[in-house]
Amino acid sequence: MSLFEKAFVAVNRAIVAGTLMIIFAIVLMNVIGRYGFSHSFSWVEELARHLMIFGVFAGAGLALREGRLVAITLIPDLLPDRFGHLLRWGVVALIFIFMAVVLWFSIQFVQFGWSKHTMSTHMPRGVPYLSIPIGATLFLIHLGLFAKRFIAGEFETDTHFEGAE
Amino acid sequence: MSKALIILFFATLILSFPVAFTMGIAGFVAVMMHGTLSPLVAIQRMFAGIDSFPLMAIPFFVLASELMTACGLTKSLLRFADALVGHVRGGFGHVNVLVSMLFAGISGSALADAAGPSAVVMRMMRGAGYDKYYAGALTAATATIGPIIPPSILAVIFAISTNGVTVAGLFMAGVVPGILMGAALAFANHIISKKHGYRGREHAATWAELGAAMVGAVPALVMPAIILGGIVFGIFTPTEAGVVATAYALLLGLIRRSFTVRSLYAAFSSAATLTASVLLIVSMGSVFSWMLTFLQIPQDLAKMLASITQDRIATMFILAGFAFVCGFFIDTLPALIILTPVLGPIAASAGIDPLHFGMMLVLNLTIGLVTPPVGAVLFVTATVGKLRLEPLFRAVLPLLLAQIAVLFLVILIPELSTAIPAYLGFTK
Repeated sequence: MSLFEKAFVAVNRAIVAGTLMIIFAIVLMNVIGRYGFSHSFSWVEELARHLMIFGVFAGAGLALREGRLVAITLIPDLLPDRFGHLLRWGVVALIFIFMAVVLWFSIQFVQFGWSKHTMSTHMPRGVPYLSIPIGATLFLIHLGLFAKRFIAGEFETDTHFEGAE
Repeated sequence: MSKALIILFFATLILSFPVAFTMGIAGFVAVMMHGTLSPLVAIQRMFAGIDSFPLMAIPFFVLASELMTACGLTKSLLRFADALVGHVRGGFGHVNVLVSMLFAGISGSALADAAGPSAVVMRMMRGAGYDKYYAGALTAATATIGPIIPPSILAVIFAISTNGVTVAGLFMAGVVPGILMGAALAFANHIISKKHGYRGREHAATWAELGAAMVGAVPALVMPAIILGGIVFGIFTPTEAGVVATAYALLLGLIRRSFTVRSLYAAFSSAATLTASVLLIVSMGSVFSWMLTFLQIPQDLAKMLASITQDRIATMFILAGFAFVCGFFIDTLPALIILTPVLGPIAASAGIDPLHFGMMLVLNLTIGLVTPPVGAVLFVTATVGKLRLEPLFRAVLPLLLAQIAVLFLVILIPELSTAIPAYLGFTK
């Protein structure tokens, strides 16, 4: 991995871990506030939701690297190496195109939301909507850097087993 | 249009696209092809699909169970289970069942259990002379109790995408089926142990040993009490329960000096990435399921099914059969995200209680975690225990029968899922 790539991954990781820490802190603050001081902030829920959405899109590229984006790989595994390889390249290319399309339309979506305001923080709706183009950009960079290893199945933490199911 | 959506989804799925993208691409292309819909609708769905406070319970339940394991508290649960049932016939097998049930009260995920405490018991069972494939099979089967007994990540996802169901309600709906699942597996373990002569520990634990094990397990047992008690008594929402449970685990770890700054950072980072991978599927799945509903596919299916049968239980069995087959080929989480909007309206129009339907679906797809060719828990157990898949699956079969028996009971007796939430007032 190049120095740039290492730094890029480390920064991305810090962003998603930091986002989760902030969500944890503000939601906990609200619970304590509600019972300890009979006061809670109405903006917490909205901000927490928007931060989580940001964390999801910003973390998508890392999930790709860690092999957490589950897929059924029966067909490429059954195919002769050369064809399987070709198929995987095709998959990567189409995912790249798809995310580029998402990036393009999500920028328009941000512009569309800029004149409207959120319920409790009263910021332009376009601000939370930025999560998608930022996340899509990060994902495209990850995919570009990681494509070869993705195709070879060389994920970064293959010993990690905990999952959502 | 409907055909394009469905064909594209299955084509990309078979061609090994990550599941999140199969739904995103199929949904997006269908929106674009429709002509009158703006592509911005798809982007809006991606955002709105995960714009939900209850969904935030997911990272915190993941985080809480990771921190608990880092504190060494899951080991104390194991000692407690061993002291309680280790001496009866097939003792380590029963320990495996019991520890999974206790851990299920902390974690909402079967994979976390299969890779964590259950993996430890699997080694204990092998050391005690159990067949290694049976030890693996029981570990895989008991791990599936995780998403049934609350908290449950799958329950959160079903609840946020279904009208008339709260997360708390579906959590409570899982209590009885979860206990039944544990009992059924313990029964199966008893029969198998009798047949193969698997024995328990030589001596039963003395009262003093049992007491000591229980005292040791108290810090771990407090966790489910916080989560369930907090939700049942309306002290906090499930998301807040996740946050409070995380804070509790954090506090405990700090007192016991179990964490370093590095391990804490790793726990947050890992929970964040895991959440991203789960909610990316939910987000993309939301484009897909919105398009399904827009094209009236579930409504058409409901009409078709209504022409076959009007009976509630018969409808439930048809839906369960369909979901069961899907569970063979599609991972539990994506299957839940796809099937909830497709089958949910059918169940609703047949007059089935959404909690009853939800519990059936979660239980059904969770059983799919131990069935090949796509059975995540089976894969994890095979990897952790260095076992071949084929004999492992053969060893799972009798346990699978016990699980299917529980599924039948849950389908036939709606009250198993609905009585507790109704009693506690968790029906909308």
